[in-house]
Amino acid sequence: MQKGAITAILAAAPGAALAHASERAVILTLPTGGFVWGAGLAVGLTALAASLGAALPAFTARRLFSRPALLPAGLASWLSAALFLALIFAGQLGTHDPYENPLPLMIWTVLWVGLTLVQAVLGDLWRHLNPWAGPVRSLRALLGRTGGIGLAGLGQWPAVLGLLGFAWLEIVSLSPDDPAQLAAVAGGYALIVFVLAVLEGEDWLEQGEFLTAFFSLIARIAPFWTSDEGRRVTHWAGLPGTQVLALPPLSSSQIAYVTLALASVSFDGLHETFAWVAAIGLNPLDYPGRSAVVAVNTAGLLAMWAVMAGLILAASVGVRAPVGLLCLSVLPIAAGYHIAHYLTALLTQGQYAIAALSDPLARGDDLLGLGQHWVSFGFMSQSQTVWRIWMAQFALILGAHLIAVLLAEQGLRRAGLRPGLWAQLPMILLMVLYTCFGLWLLASPSIG
Amino acid sequence: MTNELSLTPSRRRVLQGIMGTGALTATGFFPGFAHAQSAAPIRLGFQLHRTGIGASYGRWYERTATAALARINAAGGISGRPVEIQFEDDGTDPARGAEVFGKLATEAGCDLVFGALFSHVVIGTAPRAAELKVPYLVCSEGHHVASGMLNRWTMQPGITDVKSQVQAMAPFVTANLGKKVTMVFPDFAFGHDHRDYFTAAVAAQGGEVIAQIAIPPTETSFTRYFPQIPAETEVLYHVMVGPAVLTFVKEIGEFYGTGAKPQLFGFMDSLEAVDIASPGLEFLEGSHFWEAHPRYKQADASAAETAYRAAVGVDDNGASVTDATDIATYSHMFSVWETLSVIKAGMEASGYQGPDDRAKFIEAVEAMTAFDEGEDHPQGAKTFNGKTHQAFGIQNISKVEGGKLTVVHKTAIEDGMYPDEVDYTTQAL
Repeated sequence: MQKGAITAILAAAPGAALAHASERAVILTLPTGGFVWGAGLAVGLTALAASLGAALPAFTARRLFSRPALLPAGLASWLSAALFLALIFAGQLGTHDPYENPLPLMIWTVLWVGLTLVQAVLGDLWRHLNPWAGPVRSLRALLGRTGGIGLAGLGQWPAVLGLLGFAWLEIVSLSPDDPAQLAAVAGGYALIVFVLAVLEGEDWLEQGEFLTAFFSLIARIAPFWTSDEGRRVTHWAGLPGTQVLALPPLSSSQIAYVTLALASVSFDGLHETFAWVAAIGLNPLDYPGRSAVVAVNTAGLLAMWAVMAGLILAASVGVRAPVGLLCLSVLPIAAGYHIAHYLTALLTQGQYAIAALSDPLARGDDLLGLGQHWVSFGFMSQSQTVWRIWMAQFALILGAHLIAVLLAEQGLRRAGLRPGLWAQLPMILLMVLYTCFGLWLLASPSIG
Repeated sequence: MTNELSLTPSRRRVLQGIMGTGALTATGFFPGFAHAQSAAPIRLGFQLHRTGIGASYGRWYERTATAALARINAAGGISGRPVEIQFEDDGTDPARGAEVFGKLATEAGCDLVFGALFSHVVIGTAPRAAELKVPYLVCSEGHHVASGMLNRWTMQPGITDVKSQVQAMAPFVTANLGKKVTMVFPDFAFGHDHRDYFTAAVAAQGGEVIAQIAIPPTETSFTRYFPQIPAETEVLYHVMVGPAVLTFVKEIGEFYGTGAKPQLFGFMDSLEAVDIASPGLEFLEGSHFWEAHPRYKQADASAAETAYRAAVGVDDNGASVTDATDIATYSHMFSVWETLSVIKAGMEASGYQGPDDRAKFIEAVEAMTAFDEGEDHPQGAKTFNGKTHQAFGIQNISKVEGGKLTVVHKTAIEDGMYPDEVDYTTQAL
């Protein structure tokens, strides 16, 4: 049947409406409004004070201790590669249930949500876990290959393309969770990246591979991190964002990447809100499913990116500072909103991931002793727990924006720039707006 | 309870049990299998709302299907053959639904497909069922089967349709709560169905719907609509759905305060999977709700009801046995269990051997007229209309007392009957 015909029938269809009442239902009864505007006010006042010359935190790195490396170089990467291959096979051959098959759980929950959280706290573990780096290094050594094919000249644009594809798969495509389809897409992508990295060199991964680029950027806001000197590892600590100040201004492709990262997770939140669904002419209580909104949500995702990048560029013009310098302060916002947005997914789908871990071979084992019906979402309809989740999201988004405004100001001062209050006002306004927007997304009625 | 729970192995354990059928048959675990002409398993496809907007129902539908499958297999399967269920996620999307239907029917070689709940998925998938000539048994509650909108390969034997449910409420409401009714409903097809079916049914009982207040679907605050409720209203019939439903109850509680108020009558669709004792819902105390299947175990619950509740892992308050805050979609999910019972009965009655007998299966179900209350049909007795492919069962009207729902009235099946709107048996198979 043609999609148009389905839509026509649905428009006339009588029947049950089973839009679910829990989850967002509870938060709609809680007094979140004051928190949304209060957070915006706090960010605005902080930014105003900073731009008027208030003392800023020093953002100094403190060396904690150093120790010998625990694992031989490349071992973790090889283990990751083996695990990834096993997951691809599981996706192709295992159960079709996306909440029992380990592949979708691993990619959408453990990697995209869980590991992002770990990177944002403990620094760049991905540089060890990256499944391409070890095999690429070994194969290049085996082939005696040095040098590259000039991919580095493309900057981060290949990663921008990769992230755009990934975001589209997650937010717009019909069945992002289908294990077999995901295995084909992830396996195909991994193979292309592997071949390119063998040709160009493993260092290219941080530039051209979207996951490595993402995790590397997110790790820059971590309050704890490590650095490697040969076989010794040094542990550091500092305010979140301390490492960001050590970065050079972002290149144009990096700006595109960072704004896309923020825009895609924002659109992931927005496209499920009643406001968006109504704006595209649909009834949110009678949502027709993804197949009816592929084109409009593809356009929405791109438009969100364009608007976000445009606003940041426009606001930075007034500051008369390099856009790449100001865009560094977007990093904590991207990390903070990512974690806040996916927090409920982590608490719900994370349970399925643990259940799958308890039965890794899908043969009925219960290695962790979870027992029957262990996965449970009752906490999502209890006002006390919904309130706690909201407070965590509030703290994450407010904290991320406060760090962003402090980083922006500190970055300007270190670059010897003093643009003054009026020049910075558009940027301050943007930070305030985005604080409120991010919190509003989490508290407004949604179809999800 | 421990013993009862042991009746509900996980899906993997069920499937693992099937894979080891030879050994298990020898030990008598599946007593009937040894006598079957063919020991090949019967494969049933399940169109599951695993992701998308139906996911919170899908979780419970999968749990119910798994428990029903375990019971059927423990009792010898279907015609002595073990039964498997292959679950496929439809993303609660009609296009994806049609796609997975094809996958289940062709690639996976399933004998039939069942389980879909959301109307748009059912309506989007049904044409594919007719095209492939594969039985499609839906658990959707929608009137689209009995209205004649679908086709001969699509049936709804496990749950009464919404038209019948709504109509069956009118005699109790007018006789016990009041004759002057104001309806508050969301302004789209679902709300319009309630408006049209109930207005007609109340008039037939000598009552009157004195006001119809349609709320825009995107509305999240309702206080400004309440002054439209006429002062002489005796019954306020509300069928709000979606995330704003708790806000609706909270605001109407604030509107009436502790003063005089009309009787409240609602549909459990509004609060399915929501704890009725949630803060903010206190105003519902003393109000009435339609329930297909009582969430709270009633004092007079049958043995079949007790066994069903234990098998699906739901406690006496309608919550998961492992989490008292995890409320089941109890008023709807029995339809999966009962549909599987009909599948078993239909296959056995038709002498079903394999895909060539799919048409015979349809005819066998069409020939059914009634289902008795019991372990196969724990929600209650039903009649089945082979022409309209729709089951009609008893409905429950429950009163909120002390934060729990107590059944105060059970309708007669006849209360929900209406003239046939289609005769699917005239269509070629």
